[in-house]
Amino acid sequence: MNDKTEQYAHPDVLVTTEWVEAHHGDQNVCIVESNEDVLLYGTGHVPGAIHIDWQTDLQDQTVRDYISPEAFAELCGRNGITTDTTCVFYGDKSNWWACYALWAFRLFGHTEVKIMDGGRDKWIAEGRPLTKEKPIPVPVTYPVPGKRFDDEIRAFFDETLAHSQAARPLIDVRSPGEFSGAVTHMPEYPQEGVLRGGHVPGAQSVPWKMAVNEDATFKSREDLEQIYSEQCGLQKDDDIVAYCRIGERSSHTWFVLHYLLGYEKVRNYDGSWTEWGNRVRAPIERSA
Amino acid sequence: MSEYPGKLSTIVDLFEHLPDEEKRDSLVLYADQAAACAPAEGESFDLEDVRKDEECTDTVGVFIKVGEGERVHLRISLGPQVQTLTKAMTAILCKGLEGCRIGEIQAVPADFVPKIVGGQLVRVRSQTVYYILTRIKSACTAFRNRQKIADATG
Repeated sequence: MNDKTEQYAHPDVLVTTEWVEAHHGDQNVCIVESNEDVLLYGTGHVPGAIHIDWQTDLQDQTVRDYISPEAFAELCGRNGITTDTTCVFYGDKSNWWACYALWAFRLFGHTEVKIMDGGRDKWIAEGRPLTKEKPIPVPVTYPVPGKRFDDEIRAFFDETLAHSQAARPLIDVRSPGEFSGAVTHMPEYPQEGVLRGGHVPGAQSVPWKMAVNEDATFKSREDLEQIYSEQCGLQKDDDIVAYCRIGERSSHTWFVLHYLLGYEKVRNYDGSWTEWGNRVRAPIERSA
Repeated sequence: MSEYPGKLSTIVDLFEHLPDEEKRDSLVLYADQAAACAPAEGESFDLEDVRKDEECTDTVGVFIKVGEGERVHLRISLGPQVQTLTKAMTAILCKGLEGCRIGEIQAVPADFVPKIVGGQLVRVRSQTVYYILTRIKSACTAFRNRQKIADATG
């Protein structure tokens, strides 16, 4: 833990690249790479890291939802993860998908989770080793989780609508153009099939990117407090919902608000704009 | 054999019969070759189209030299942020379409992509896998249009 990390509300959930390299081979630590670029892991990864695909491993392949508790237990078991294993997530895109995977693990109640600050880009920029060798985990039995923590950390459409109508804090973490309704896709990305542009009525625009430095590491607690507490006006006991397009950028903000700043009640609306912007009669605000 | 021009047909046939895991490994191998598809120092071309489009994460440059019988020599440069799947498709298309005629390239259907990539990797966020083919076709069209204008004015 370094001086920066110690300032966060839950400093134990953020580890440095040095920490990860020093824990190579630690039997109680599982390094997990999760990326947007579906082939990136195969081009080279942190030695010993397993790969978890946000779509094929964590999402149900038929219903728009996450895998069943049984499938989660099977996923962990085949990757050698026990309930005591510390899973350290990292990935591309400033850890969007690492935060998403961590959030999904929390949905199933796995408590030993961490993020490698700076993600894959920082690891590579520092010249740390990469390998194409895939680890062969020893399978274990992971107990089927008794519940999924949807109520605690996930918001659905109806809850988000009620949140909007009650004027409770809603954080839109997309780019300003997406928020205003000027564009219906992320910059640098193809259209993701949304019919309407704009934002959930009452939402504040706080793009996810405001929380990170140029090297993809999280900003200091002081800087983050400035953004979310002072500029955005969030209070510690607020009930907060964050959203983006499909829930990955808002997982990043969820991680910042909950783990780094200590907001107790933060939920990720993973249906996000691809649900809201297509939903019949969903109210929309535009600022363009 | 598949109905695609040049070596693309052979590549598609090879991929189509690979299990998903081997498809991934082969795509990574192709992606590693993408840097070698960039124009060599001092190489000259009949058409250069370098641009950054909204739908792709970084700049893509398409360079074509057209020889006897409208046969195309193809080179592609990629910015560092381009996704691995796009890099793989670049190497596949440079190898597969090298020496093909403009008309053959323009007629290549996009249905070879899922055959190479497999169902699991064709996703909303991987749609730029089609982008490189579109850019190559567009360069060919631009070349032909220039030729028509040159013929009409010459």
